[in-house]
Amino acid sequence: MASLRSATRLAAPARSLFRPAVRSYATIGGEMSRGATPSRPVISEKDTSTIKEPEPEKDSKIKTFHIYRWNPDEPASKPKMQTYTLDLNKTGPMMLDALIRIKNEVDPTLTFRRSCREGICGSCAMNIDGVNTLACLCRIPTETTKESRIYPLPHTYVVKDLVPDLTHFYKQYKSIKPYLQRDTKPGDGRENRQTPEERKKLDGLYECILCACCSTSCPSYWWNSEQYLGPAILLQSYRWLADSRDERKAERKEALENGMSLYRCHTILNCSRTCPKGLNPAKAIAEIKKSMALGS
Amino acid sequence: MASTARLGMRCARQLFQPARRVVLRPEHIRQSSPIVSRLAPFTTTTKKSILPPGPQVVHGGVNDPAPVPDPHPTHGSYHWIAERGISVLLVPLTLAPFAAGTLNPTMDAIFCGAMLIHSHLGFQSIITDYVPQWRMPGVRKAFDYLLMLATLVVGIGLYEFETNDVGITEAVKRIWRAGKNDATIEKSNLSGLGYDAKALKGQA
Repeated sequence: MASLRSATRLAAPARSLFRPAVRSYATIGGEMSRGATPSRPVISEKDTSTIKEPEPEKDSKIKTFHIYRWNPDEPASKPKMQTYTLDLNKTGPMMLDALIRIKNEVDPTLTFRRSCREGICGSCAMNIDGVNTLACLCRIPTETTKESRIYPLPHTYVVKDLVPDLTHFYKQYKSIKPYLQRDTKPGDGRENRQTPEERKKLDGLYECILCACCSTSCPSYWWNSEQYLGPAILLQSYRWLADSRDERKAERKEALENGMSLYRCHTILNCSRTCPKGLNPAKAIAEIKKSMALGS
Repeated sequence: MASTARLGMRCARQLFQPARRVVLRPEHIRQSSPIVSRLAPFTTTTKKSILPPGPQVVHGGVNDPAPVPDPHPTHGSYHWIAERGISVLLVPLTLAPFAAGTLNPTMDAIFCGAMLIHSHLGFQSIITDYVPQWRMPGVRKAFDYLLMLATLVVGIGLYEFETNDVGITEAVKRIWRAGKNDATIEKSNLSGLGYDAKALKGQA
């Protein structure tokens, strides 16, 4: 070994002229000359890694979703659209399924409201492909060439991502006193009863879940949401005006007797078109206007 | 506003950055930048909101009901009835001249008056919608006075036209038949028609 080392030392000065700071290691026999070279060629991480990119399946249906993102923790940064892709074969049929899958598997920071996933709670109201609707009642269009765009409800203050601030909406709902108001008790001391015909008047009104899809689709509500009540609240207002058991109809009408609360409705009918529950707020508003005009 | 300014600065920087730095940017940074910032250098317009949304203000507590305004039927149901009534009235008033020929001055005046009130209410509605009282009370007052002035001027003009001239129905009729009634068509000598023949000859 010692003789080999001295031989290496003899060769070293000549080589160091060209390759100065290469450290050579002790090698055995014929390996000597190769051991003096710097190193093996670099093998890229891609070739050494044991984890492989998942191969896209042959009949996968990859759909692109562009989702509005805004983080209140970075108030100076602008809202942006973030793009996610999902295989529709592995996703449920509704937009809410896609959102939940993105949150579970792709990006846990995506924020949205959801609760019942069956169109009863009204939490997942958002603007999907330009239409205000409930994500849980909106099917994902299966053509993968079209990209879906999801925004929060238009003209609302955004809390985060797809979560709108509906504080004023609920305050307005409270202002119409959405509960039964009676001054007298029923004669027989039992519950307040109504005939099947009177009950029928409330069909198409009591189903409203206050998801705010209609109000936020109304241009008049966009401009004057401070004072105009909007279709959802006016539908609820009519629900109590039409109730045969309520005894404060005059007061309820008086609360609407001004230029802003009711009469900013210009029969644009976006509300009836967008309602995910298939109700008709515009008709309710028209009924209020009629009863206000005719005094009935 | 600050974020808009920062965005603008970033655009400007990207625009005037030497190509060297862009090339040297690592691949992963370039890919993660959103499409907007890649397109931003090509936009020439800056964002100029006419009425940018203000910060959210919640009056009272979050659980308090929104305030209910005092009842004013003249701004509420009476106003609505007047608006719709005049609109409906205008339909027969517009159709009547077609059925009966030129109307007498009284009907013409009613038509003018209804039209004037109708357009006043229409413009008033536009102002109420787009110039909100709670947002900009001063501008609203200016617009309200401007509308009153405009209606007054139009009203005086229509009165003058009705009393000293032919009236609106007759005027429309004459304009409609201007081609047919024009006495100068295919006439070489216009001196008999009361026209200034010399001036016309000078033009020709």
